[in-house]
Amino acid sequence: MNNNTGWLIRREFWENRAIWLVPAVIAGLLVLAASFGNVQFGGFFHSDGSGEGVPEQLAMYALSGSVTVMFLIIMSVYSGWYLLDCLHADRKDRSILFWKSLPISDAATVLTKLLVGLLIIPLVYFAIADLTVFLMALIFGLRTGLWASSGLWHPSLWLQTQGFWLYTILTLAAWYLPVAGWLMLISAWATRAVILWSVLPPLAIYIGERWMFGTHYFGSELLDRLGKGYAVRAFDVTVGGAGWTTDVIHKHGGDDSLTYPTSLWRLLDPVGFFGSPATWIGVAVGVALIYAAIELRSRRAEI
Amino acid sequence: MPPLIEARELSKRYGKHLALDRVSFSIESGRIVGLIGPNGAGKTSALRSLLGLTSYEGHLRVLGREPLRERTALMADACFIADVAVLPGWLRVDRAIDFVAGVHPKFRRERAKALLEKTQIRGSHRMRELSKGMKTQVHLALTMAIDAKLFVLDEPTLGLDLLARRSFYDALVNDYMDETRTILITTHQVEEVENLLTDLMFIDKGRIVLDCSLEDVAQRYAAVAVSGAGLDAARGLRPFYERRTLGKTVLYYENPDFARLGDFGEVLTPSVSDLFVAKLAGEAT
Repeated sequence: MNNNTGWLIRREFWENRAIWLVPAVIAGLLVLAASFGNVQFGGFFHSDGSGEGVPEQLAMYALSGSVTVMFLIIMSVYSGWYLLDCLHADRKDRSILFWKSLPISDAATVLTKLLVGLLIIPLVYFAIADLTVFLMALIFGLRTGLWASSGLWHPSLWLQTQGFWLYTILTLAAWYLPVAGWLMLISAWATRAVILWSVLPPLAIYIGERWMFGTHYFGSELLDRLGKGYAVRAFDVTVGGAGWTTDVIHKHGGDDSLTYPTSLWRLLDPVGFFGSPATWIGVAVGVALIYAAIELRSRRAEI
Repeated sequence: MPPLIEARELSKRYGKHLALDRVSFSIESGRIVGLIGPNGAGKTSALRSLLGLTSYEGHLRVLGREPLRERTALMADACFIADVAVLPGWLRVDRAIDFVAGVHPKFRRERAKALLEKTQIRGSHRMRELSKGMKTQVHLALTMAIDAKLFVLDEPTLGLDLLARRSFYDALVNDYMDETRTILITTHQVEEVENLLTDLMFIDKGRIVLDCSLEDVAQRYAAVAVSGAGLDAARGLRPFYERRTLGKTVLYYENPDFARLGDFGEVLTPSVSDLFVAKLAGEAT
């Protein structure tokens, strides 16, 4: 990490204003909706006197969870596109001939773009999502008269959700490193149709394997990598045991019991994630693909 | 002192096509060298190899470095404009200056600003808002503000109007060139550069067909206009090219016997343009 890295990151922000514009627009819409939307809060919180509703903690989980997950889903689409485009766009518009006239190594260029796509874009989205959650909680609080009194404003609750999401972003980066490496390799290699090239080879391997050997190891691995493989390793959602509590929720129709973790951190499973061979195999594959992308980059000029 | 650029048996292959065919040359410091050839002659392949933008075969050293492997270090002392209008459309002029100032140890911001102050270009302009000529001005300002030992230009004036082309070369010669620098220019438009070069290299079909300093042209090349009777005898001295004009035949010679040549008429030193045509047409026959 030297001085150049800072300039290279700035450069990515100049070129890709969508990095912060897209989440900022979404945040604006959500805040507008929270301000003027028709929201019924009567008896929403456990502590608002009626003796009904959910504990604030769960309301916070729900708000932070729904907003942040939405941001992260949009982020993953954008980030995937960014990684697929980042070594291709400057070859297409020939500006690579300018960038390569400067004393910046191809490794620095590729690794900076990887850093942006895998960590910085998620962090920007998360920062904006977190601010949105804060503003929405504030607006909801004001509109329902719960501002100041509500347990929503307990700092430890915020620390908890923020820690939860930072863990998520870091582990997502590690888990999706091979996917990012693959997208960057295609970006460095393809002369056109990057989306098609990123999809076709894995599809061909999958079909080829089924057809020739009748097996689908590759397909299962791929599905595991892109699908639920991440969540089952990074989180432990087994209900019950230490760190879980059961509350009685009063409702009009009668009481209901609800079991939930006392802290979101209870759901994290770093040992399971970092102890899983799949995590490290993925990292190794990712490193190899990134290395190949750097090598390709050093031999390619414009298209 | 070793030469600034040294190429031995340099080849560049694209599949079966040989874009550069075992080319050898060297360039000393303090020169303005024109690498001249028709389109597709191998000029760009040669430059790309020199600048570490592409792989090659053979021995190549630029400023004592191996270009492909040491491009980053090389670019601290060499700069290039490969083709016009490659600055990305989204980049703002002031940010382009900031960026180069940030990453290039030998960039002098004040100099770039001074060069741009003479123009209509403002810092808040994005490259896509500028005309081709203005974009070239920005690129030239960015590049001339770098204290580089070697400056490489690939068809720098392509697509520019006459006025922009003229001011481009004026800036290059008057504001930039001094004895510590070396400039290598490729072009297919000979007339544009013939007055500023110190050295000529003609390239055709992947081979160097002429490599000569301008001072040596007069000693190495000669043209004689011959009419009527002397023609057969003059042809006997083995011209490499002949051209019919106004009832006379102009014969071009390389390393001729100047004394005998004088018998056929006035011995002239061919202009760079004439030499270019003669050499390339001569190669073809």
